[in-house]
Amino acid sequence: MIKNVGDVDSVISMQNVGIRYGQGAEVLSDVNLILKRGSFHFLTGKSGAGKTSLLSMMYLSQKASRGIVKIFGRNVSYADRDSLALLRRKIGVVFQDFRLLDHMSSFDNVALPLRVCGMDEREVRKRVTELLRWVELDQKINEPTSTLSGGEKQRVAIARAVINRPEILLADEPTGNVDSDIAHKLMKLFVELNKLGTTVVIATHSERLITDFPYPRLHLQNGGLKIYRPIVEKKIGRGTYD
Amino acid sequence: MTKNIISSRKQEVPLQDDTSNIFLQVMVCIAVFLSGVALAGVLAVNAMLNSWNESILGALTVQIMPVVESNKDAGLAETLRQQSKAVEFLKQWPGVISADPLSDKDLKHLIQPWLGDGIEVSDLPVPRLIDVKIKKDVPIDFANLSVSLAKVAPLASIDNHKIWLDKLVKFADSLRLLAFVVLVLVIVVTSGAIFYCTQTSLGLHRYVIEILHLMGAKDTYVAQQYARKASFLGFMGGVYGLVLAVPTIFIVSGFAKQIEGGIISETSLSLTDWGIVGSLPFFSAIMAMLTAYYTVKHTLIRYM
Repeated sequence: MIKNVGDVDSVISMQNVGIRYGQGAEVLSDVNLILKRGSFHFLTGKSGAGKTSLLSMMYLSQKASRGIVKIFGRNVSYADRDSLALLRRKIGVVFQDFRLLDHMSSFDNVALPLRVCGMDEREVRKRVTELLRWVELDQKINEPTSTLSGGEKQRVAIARAVINRPEILLADEPTGNVDSDIAHKLMKLFVELNKLGTTVVIATHSERLITDFPYPRLHLQNGGLKIYRPIVEKKIGRGTYD
Repeated sequence: MTKNIISSRKQEVPLQDDTSNIFLQVMVCIAVFLSGVALAGVLAVNAMLNSWNESILGALTVQIMPVVESNKDAGLAETLRQQSKAVEFLKQWPGVISADPLSDKDLKHLIQPWLGDGIEVSDLPVPRLIDVKIKKDVPIDFANLSVSLAKVAPLASIDNHKIWLDKLVKFADSLRLLAFVVLVLVIVVTSGAIFYCTQTSLGLHRYVIEILHLMGAKDTYVAQQYARKASFLGFMGGVYGLVLAVPTIFIVSGFAKQIEGGIISETSLSLTDWGIVGSLPFFSAIMAMLTAYYTVKHTLIRYM
């Protein structure tokens, strides 16, 4: 799994990466990681293990305190602001706290990634309407997200993350606020996107999800990263890990 | 560049709710009001100087000092006799188009601002004046003319207005400099206000801006939204300022006309001058737009 940073197939690579906040101890230290194009990983670890910090480096919100982070082969430490913006357009993110713009409608929130790219408004309308229908929010398309329930907000956040057909999809507890049916439906969406070539990383505490969808697991513990591969039990379609 | 600033469509940053919007409009309103009045002043002074210059190039004044005698009538008769001789002499001089003595009515009109109504020019030992029109393209030797005239009418002297015009030009230059300083101060203060309002707003909407960045928005995308809003506020503030400035200009112009006396007679603005004053809201809109745009670009470097 761990290869030289700069592997041509890697979309995310980290070498000896550490991150600390202020003068505190490192939250993550000596993280080495290569995620290949089209891979699917769960990210696990106890609360405070650094899952969100690792994800935030991946979606270019946080810079590493040390080490090398490359996204799509580009060392992000040397990328200028406009280049970082262009890289972010290829990354879809589902935040644990949704991070929706509550003064705007569901439609406008989901349309955001398309509009910042300057997409034609007719195409925006077509794509957003279609996706909101798919996540069963077509009845609330024009409602401000401040009026939506937690589960509805989460679906808007997921729709916003995937509307741009991103090359990387990062999700922080994406199914935490939805019922099991919707959770399964959303996971199937992630799997479909993955089949189309999107690299997916999902941070989760849900053992059920990990069991139902047998993909490799990145596990954070004591500031370090370990990788577990699933042992697939084909008959019942469920996975365990070594 | 300007097209780039105003090209974006959707306003994701909720700038319409900013309380600083009113402050910004008031600031721009005051700025445009002051600029408008100062600019109108400069344009009026320019027009006045041009008018004076034009009239002075083609005119001179001959003054006949009054003969003061115990017999008032005899003195007045001698003064008028010298005036007639001077008029006849001047009409013969090459380059002179006309030489017209000012009537008692004209003289009374000139001294009225200082001595008030109810005066009789013939009762006062005031100089008699001859308004001489000369050809602009024929150079006149004023020294020679003065000497020759003194032989015909010893009480006559020539005033070609150059000395007092030079003083007025210096005064007008001072006014222009003052107006320029006012304009610069107004621009600096207004730009500063827009800068700090924009920075405050960026802090207020940091959450929204970070989300926009996470969605892949470039700094330019955010800056465009601020520039669009600032240009609207700048324009509206400018219109309010202009609405206040125009009647003020008319009132000041009215005061100026009241002190006429031949000193301030051409204070009205031309159509072009009004066009320049009327363009101030567009100027304030562009200034607000550019200031906001570059403030955002400059400030966002510190953001994620």
